[in-house]
Parts: sequence; C-alpha cells; structure tokens
Amino acid sequence: MMTRRSALLLLGTAAALPALLAAPRGAASTDLAARAGAFIEERGNQVIGIVNGNGGTDAKRDAVAKVLREAVDVQGVAQFVLGRHWRTASEAQRREYLSLFEETLVRNLSARFGELRGVTFNVGRKQMASETEAVVSTTVSRPNNPDVMLDWRVADVGGAPKIVDVVAEGSSLRITQRSEYAAVVQRGGGMDGLLRAMRQQLAQLESQERR
Amino acid sequence: MIPRLPLRVVAAVGALALVAGCNLPPPASDPEARAEYFETNDPLEPVNRVTHTFNQAVDTMLLRPAAEAYRIFIPQPIRTGLGNFLDNLLLPRTTVYNALQGNSDRAADSFSRFAINSTLGVFGIFDFASDMGFPPQYEDMGQNLAVWAGTLDGGPYIVLPILGPSNVRDTTGRIIDFFTDPWQWLGQGDTVEALRIARVVAQAIDTREGLIEPLDALKAQSLDYYAAIRSLYRQQRDRDIQNQSVGQRRYFDWTGERQGLPQ
Repeated sequence: MMTRRSALLLLGTAAALPALLAAPRGAASTDLAARAGAFIEERGNQVIGIVNGNGGTDAKRDAVAKVLREAVDVQGVAQFVLGRHWRTASEAQRREYLSLFEETLVRNLSARFGELRGVTFNVGRKQMASETEAVVSTTVSRPNNPDVMLDWRVADVGGAPKIVDVVAEGSSLRITQRSEYAAVVQRGGGMDGLLRAMRQQLAQLESQERR
Repeated sequence: MIPRLPLRVVAAVGALALVAGCNLPPPASDPEARAEYFETNDPLEPVNRVTHTFNQAVDTMLLRPAAEAYRIFIPQPIRTGLGNFLDNLLLPRTTVYNALQGNSDRAADSFSRFAINSTLGVFGIFDFASDMGFPPQYEDMGQNLAVWAGTLDGGPYIVLPILGPSNVRDTTGRIIDFFTDPWQWLGQGDTVEALRIARVVAQAIDTREGLIEPLDALKAQSLDYYAAIRSLYRQQRDRDIQNQSVGQRRYFDWTGERQGLPQ
C-alpha cells in the first residue's frame, strides 16, 4: 500500500513535471524565432544557389529535393495531414503512407522550385506563432512578376529547426492538404483508398518529370 | 415545341434531390468524425460536388481558353491597364464598406487611391497611388457581414453555378453587392447595358487569367481538387475579412516579353 509520504512525493513530482518539461522548452522558444530566421535564410540561399547555378534540370531537382528532405519535418507534417486517421491506421499502412507522403511532398515542392529561375528572396519578420512554432516571413521576387509572400512555420524537432508548414499568400499547405486527405479517406474507402490515390498521384508526377 | 414539365413535378424532384444530397452528421458515438463534420461545414457536399463538376466543365471549355487567348493576343501593358481600370471601378464600394466596418483609416486610404488613380492615373489605368502609399484594397458585403457578426464562420459551404465557391454569408453578400454597385445606378440605354456586360465579362477573364498557373498547379498536385478549393476558399476569406491579405499590384512590362508560355 502506498504510504502518505510517497503519495505526497508522487504528487509533488507530478506537479513539478510540467514545470521541469517547460523550462528548457521555454528557454529554447525565446531564441527559436531567431534560429528559425537564420535557418530559413541559409536553406533559401542554398536552394536559390542550386536553381540559378549550372547543371541540368534533373541534377538541380535532385539537389533541391535533398535540401528539402533535410529541412522539412516530413514525419510531423505527414502525421498532421493525416490527422485522426493516423491513430486508426495499421503499422503497414503508416509505413507506406509516410514513404508516399515524403516522395509526393518533395517532388511537388522541388518541381515548383525548379521553375523559379532568377528568383531572389528576402527574410522579413521572425516571430513566435505559438509556444512551439515560429513564423519566418519571406518575400520571393521574380523579374516581371508580382512578389510572392511565403511564410515558413518552423518548429524545434529534436534540437534542430525544421519546416512544418509553408503559408503562401495566406494559404497553409498543411491545412489544405489535411482537409483534402480527410475527404479522400472519407469518400474513397478509408486508408487503403487514400494510399491508392497517393500511389496514382506519385506515378503521375514521375511520368511528368520524365517528359 | 419544348415539352414543359409541370412546376409541381420539378419542385418535388428538386426537393427530393436536395434531401438525398444532404450529408447527415455522423453519430454521437464517433465524436472526432462529428467534430470534423462540423468543422468542414459542408452539409450540401453531394450537391456542391455536382455543381463543382459542372463549373469545371464550363471552365475547361470556356473560361480558361478565353483567359489563355486573352493572355496570348492582348499585349501585357494593355492587360495591366485594363485590369487597373477594372479594379479602380470597385474602389468606391470598397471605400463605403470600409466606413461601414468602422475602419475610417482604410476608408480614407481607398478613397485617396480612387481619387488619385481616377485623375492622375487616367480613369484608373495607371496606378500611381501605390507609389504614394495607397496600396490596392478590396472589400465586399460578405466581409462586412463577417465584421458585423463578429465571426469568421460564414455558415455552410456552397458552390454557386458559374460563380464558384461561396458560403451562406458570402452568397448573401454577393446579392447585396449586386444591388449596391454604384455603377449599376448610373445611366441607362443599350450602350450602358452593353458596357455593363462587357465589364462583367472582362472582370471574369481578367481574374481567370491571373489564376491560370495557380489553379493548374493546384489541380496537378491535389488528391481531391474540390476539398482543396473548399479549404483554400475559407482560408482566403478569413484573411480578407481580417484585412491581412496584401493587395496584388499590377506592373507594366514594356519589354514585350511573353510570360507564362511554356519554355
């Protein structure tokens, strides 16, 4: 049986636990905005260097894809996008979903970045959007085109800043994708229907790249 | 002769289709699905999807080709000038709506923008106001209603035929907008009527032209285009209501370079 003292101790630890957990995170969050800004600037310059540099389109796309894989919290975004269906998915479904999601995300984004020759970008405001996420605002300029405002949501994942969302002119990629995927799961016969649709889309993206 | 259906039959079939086309909320035993249902707020989804498919067909056959032809055959500076002119026509209403929302600063800005561009900018063709610190603005009755109601919730999602994504609030707003457009009151006669129609058509083509690449990309990348549009519409409207969107300025490009064509 539990003694009075150990019960109190347990209570005490339980009460202190949130504070203990919050302390390092609180300290980290104060400089997360600054770190996120530097991180986006560095990665952005890296991508622009690749896009405007020498080399074939395929090589460039691969190089951009590599940067993205490192910079984006793919697992976190994937889980957010699947939402409540993540918990009910089987282990095999989760594994396939994650790999399909990563491929689609990277291909979609790197295909877009590949088009952006001659872009320049400026890092603007950096601020905390929530307790765990910072927003870095950037302005992407292309010659003869209106500027595009891109906001990058950055979170601390395992001690390193990672991108968790891109907000283009106010439209969040992960929120849009989440409602899309939910619709596919609901209408297209559950998780297997979603995986089928994702496989199909990936095949389509691949055939477009080869053209 | 065209056979005419009795009105009562049409009404009965219509009502039946509407009931059959309703999505009912999931049972209380599945709270998460229920929460999602109310968040999506699209009880008319089956009907909306049919309208969406119809709109897509109209877009593919009519609107997108028209927008592409517009881009190919009309030189860029003329398109910019025409777009500026059309945007300028919306400013008086924006000014009044800003005032009705109790936002006198923005009302003053949009009025100054209208005054400068209508005179210096020759009927709004040139946008000097942007350089003077009066950037583009746009307000409509849907945004007014949201501000007055104090909520971003616009009620169930509705896809309007031809006009596209909307909701209960914004559909109501559109109807009021139609009657409060000041250019609707001025003048009469066939020429004025023709100009009004020309304005609506030009506005539609100009808007679609600006959306060629974004919508193509969205279509290529989305698993469910309908759901993507639905989500994007809500996000965009939320931003418009809170005046967080940055007005897109149009630039003149005199180099004669063709844009947007496949390289």
